[in-house]
Amino acid sequence: MTAFLQLTLDGLIDGGAYALVGLGLSLTFGSLRRLNLAYGATAMLAAYCGAWLHIQHQAPVWLVALTVMVAATLIGGYVEGLCFARTEKNTASTDAAPLAGADGLEVVALASSFAIWMQLEQLAVNLLPRHLNAFPSLATEQDWRLGELMIRPDRLLLALLATALTLGLAAWLQRSRAGLSWRACADHRLAAHLVGMPVARLKSVGFAAACALSGLAATAILLLDGQVTPMFGMWVLLKGLVAAMLGGLGSVRGALWGGLLLGVSESHAQALWGAWGREFATYALLFLVLVAPWRRHRSDRLVSGVHA
Amino acid sequence: MLEINDLATAYGKIEALKGVSLAAKAGEVTCLLGPNGAGKSTLMLTLTGILKPQRGSVKFDGVELVGRSPAEIVARGLALVPENRLVFPTLTVRENLMAGAYKRRDMAGIRSDIDAMFARFPRLKERTEQFAGTLSGGEQQMLAVARALMSRPRLLLMDEPSVGLAPMVVAEIFAIIRQLHAEGVSIFLVEQNAHMALKVAQHFYLMKQGRISFSGTPGELANDDVIQRAYLGQQRPDERPALPSTAAAPTPSAEPQPQAEATEVAQR
Repeated sequence: MTAFLQLTLDGLIDGGAYALVGLGLSLTFGSLRRLNLAYGATAMLAAYCGAWLHIQHQAPVWLVALTVMVAATLIGGYVEGLCFARTEKNTASTDAAPLAGADGLEVVALASSFAIWMQLEQLAVNLLPRHLNAFPSLATEQDWRLGELMIRPDRLLLALLATALTLGLAAWLQRSRAGLSWRACADHRLAAHLVGMPVARLKSVGFAAACALSGLAATAILLLDGQVTPMFGMWVLLKGLVAAMLGGLGSVRGALWGGLLLGVSESHAQALWGAWGREFATYALLFLVLVAPWRRHRSDRLVSGVHA
Repeated sequence: MLEINDLATAYGKIEALKGVSLAAKAGEVTCLLGPNGAGKSTLMLTLTGILKPQRGSVKFDGVELVGRSPAEIVARGLALVPENRLVFPTLTVRENLMAGAYKRRDMAGIRSDIDAMFARFPRLKERTEQFAGTLSGGEQQMLAVARALMSRPRLLLMDEPSVGLAPMVVAEIFAIIRQLHAEGVSIFLVEQNAHMALKVAQHFYLMKQGRISFSGTPGELANDDVIQRAYLGQQRPDERPALPSTAAAPTPSAEPQPQAEATEVAQR
């Protein structure tokens, strides 16, 4: 029983990291209705900038964290301008606009974000060519004990951060006027124009915020590991995508539940079947979400505009 | 109040408005009639700043609107009830109304206006926390009107508020228009339903293939022979009603579509 509880707890704590990366992806999808494949690579290149500062100039943790967030926002701006702004522009002012995501240009955006993914990853590898690169570490030697259970304090902190961020963002989206306008823009672009919302600006701000969030997520996760490898981008994209899809792309709270569910399933699957089981759990969950019969009745909730 | 002069708007190379001039007076209901594809909705989207015109001017109380953003135009007191309602489907009824007041900062006024909307549209009040996408067509139309009113417009633009609604609901919508007019709201109404429009509007324009082809009072409209047949459904004895076979109307409407007779209007 203790082992079961320990695995569940570990899973929940891991799930916090998944929720954080899923959140950024869910927000960009929810506001643009476009899947940003360069999402993981953006976080990775930003993390590499932080790691570079750490390695070359022994920058302190706070400066590394700040650098990663700023870099993620700037790189995100580059990605948005190149992949998404243009495929938006053509539809922004016509009757076709209400049917966001149904214009075929999403394929163009998807393909170009894939190209940018490759580009960003190559840039990162050029910046720091080694496979393992040092990242500041907050890992502690001493574990906390809760009766029979062991908790790593730094991991717990990450999970709490993820939960607080997600629930805070959800409350902001639900209650504030700014949150309402963001949801309105994601819901119906032309209608948002008609009530006088600055749609283009809200979208850019939303995209930038989501990228900054991915920078924060990357920092928080890497601080636990104390290192970053070229696999990080793919990891962020994959885990983020599964977490976000489990909760429904576009949903903020959904990203949290999705991340936690993914964390717990992986943790138990690994205990049962080893590393292979962990990967299996990830894809099995994704598969279940995509084909599950209960989705048929609520297919509109699998993907939707930004909502709490 | 609203003066439109030689306004031309194109989608790529296709010119939808070919130099439209018309005016709407304060305190009046002005109605623009015209068949599908005449450019009525294009005109509405141009007035609200969504589409950029090639040439021409739109003066609202003397201020030029061409070149301004939709947000600025809403702030100046022009609000559109768009064709097909376009409510925010996954926002609740109350949130839709809040969104309509986006340009306003007086929270107390917004709250009292929301209460006023619920008093005016009791059916919306019953559905305050319901998603707008789950409302019936008529309820969505009321919500669209209420949302536009939330910006406290000085001129309300309405693009085919009767389209796709059952006759009973259409009557309800026009009762609302009459009520708004009685309260002093200036309205610029685009319609295909000439019968209903005749009961509320003080001035009529007829639009045909991107141009204004008629301007006059309800009396002049009712006496115009061509309009009689095209819009008020009175056939010459020698004519067969050609509507169902030739008129491929993209949107369902409770009223006869005027396309079949439209060529005659052009030959005037």
